[in-house]
Amino acid sequence: MSAPASAPRFEPDERWVPADQRLFGVDRRTIGPTLVVFALVFVMSVVLPVINATVPYDDMVKAGDVLELDGNVTFVPEADWGITSGVRAGHLPSGAYPSTATVEQGALKFTVRTGTFHGDANQLLDQIEKTSEALNRGRGVHLTGAPSSIVTDQGKRGATVPVTGPHTTGVIAAFVFGDRGVEAVATGPSDAGSQSTAAVLRMIRSISQPGQDKQ
Amino acid sequence: MTTTTLADLDRARDFALDLSGWGRRFSFYQPRNCAFWGYLALVGIGALVFAATLAQEYDAYGQAIGLAVTSFTIYAALFWWFAQHIDHYAKLPAKLMVVAFLWGGFAATGVMAANANDAILALYSKTFGQVWALNWGAGLAAPFTEEIAKGSGLLLLIALAPRQVRTAFDGFILGAFIGLGFQIIEDISYALTSAGTQFGANQIGASIGTILLRMVSGVAAHILYSAIFCAGVVYLLGRPAEPRKVWRGLLLVAIPMLLHGTWDSLDAVAGGNALMLIGLLIAVIVIALFIVARVYRLTVQRERDFVRDVMAPEQARNVITAAELDAIAGNRKARKAYRKASRPRVERKRARYVLNAAYSLAAELAAARGADTDRVRFARAEVGRIRAGVPPPPR
Repeated sequence: MSAPASAPRFEPDERWVPADQRLFGVDRRTIGPTLVVFALVFVMSVVLPVINATVPYDDMVKAGDVLELDGNVTFVPEADWGITSGVRAGHLPSGAYPSTATVEQGALKFTVRTGTFHGDANQLLDQIEKTSEALNRGRGVHLTGAPSSIVTDQGKRGATVPVTGPHTTGVIAAFVFGDRGVEAVATGPSDAGSQSTAAVLRMIRSISQPGQDKQ
Repeated sequence: MTTTTLADLDRARDFALDLSGWGRRFSFYQPRNCAFWGYLALVGIGALVFAATLAQEYDAYGQAIGLAVTSFTIYAALFWWFAQHIDHYAKLPAKLMVVAFLWGGFAATGVMAANANDAILALYSKTFGQVWALNWGAGLAAPFTEEIAKGSGLLLLIALAPRQVRTAFDGFILGAFIGLGFQIIEDISYALTSAGTQFGANQIGASIGTILLRMVSGVAAHILYSAIFCAGVVYLLGRPAEPRKVWRGLLLVAIPMLLHGTWDSLDAVAGGNALMLIGLLIAVIVIALFIVARVYRLTVQRERDFVRDVMAPEQARNVITAAELDAIAGNRKARKAYRKASRPRVERKRARYVLNAAYSLAAELAAARGADTDRVRFARAEVGRIRAGVPPPPR
């Protein structure tokens, strides 16, 4: 009866590269797959973002447009601003309206965000400040000055506070409709004119929740 | 009529071990391998990006991060156990599975798919409008970017471990671990996003639903998609133990993309009808599980054949019986039938132990490349001891 060998046959480990497979010391058989993967990385992380950056957005706000967010919250963006995220009222995507909408004009940016919140506008502003400070850790945009009241065209009272950052200034406003919190953030260059400020204030005051009584 | 001799069986065993790569050790550090440096760079960048994100958000969402990391670590451990449980046969080195997991978690997500997804979704919004992008964007971006990002890791793994990754089943298992890594990191990111949905208040309440949903739906998501996709990649490329089958490979690469796209588009297909959405969710999960079970059965047969080739000489030498050989080289039903054939209950229990001891012997034989080493002789003696009902020596 035959018996198997008593010691394993020698096999070199992965680090051994046959002499006829070396190219400048590396295993030439491993170059192809690595280049394929790096080509995919290049396409995904460089080519696609560059293509995206070169395509301008042209979804401009027309007079009378209303953007709607999750929780039946709406606002009226300024005409000729560009919509970079968000959906017009009446164009419900599957599921629900998104919880964020952003419109921009040049360096000016206005974002409205909604979410569940139990408390009043001042408490929401405190929560926003707390989260914002924790995320920014003293860097970037931060809240400055004392909160003041703001009333929307619907008659809803909210709280607002100025924000500043490097070469940036702006305002944060907070409203609470029932258990739906709304945060509006406007930022722009420090030398933005009074027209821009007026436009931002108009957008903030246009925030409403149809069917919500004023408080 | 030909007669198979013991020498023939030993030769067949050596051939099976060489072909399958079963039992070969894997050394990750390979400075002369381009794939090693490529892997290290991409996983390293991805890990740094992820760690920086967690560090940046920790002060704001610390509770949610703690909950998500703990929950998904347990989830990953359970899956790891399950993968070990279904892989009875020519097992891959655990180190290779860790390497696969890290690729899925850090390189495929942060370095590849996330960048591509953001760009494609933005392009969809600009081209087709926000509503269209919200409805269909994810379903027409993620299946391509994410499956390719995960699957490309297998190319590096094959370059790193060409003598271990030999069959479509190896691709299936490694794909599952790549998918697990991807899923865990993606799930943690989703939990973080949820933590911020209430302005940072009530983080646990805001994120727990997402965590549970991701855990349940994850069963038929990235793990499954990548397992099928990577089995397809092996069929497409061909390996020494797996002849190239281009059409089968293309089909297996396309199926997870289709499943992924369907999954991401369910909201849009249901059109806001909650009942239809639940029905579609269940249907897609059932179909996905059915397909993955079929792919498992399709790919595992070669591994079973390796087990049979490795253990046939043991049967010829009367270490195991023909019934035991059929059971260990068979499927779950075969093992169950073998156990149930024993009476009474104590014998059934012993039959299970004998099978486990035979699997251990197979693993030792593979590690020894079929040689008759001390460890192999001991494992062989263990089969006999357990069959005879002799208790183990005192510890």
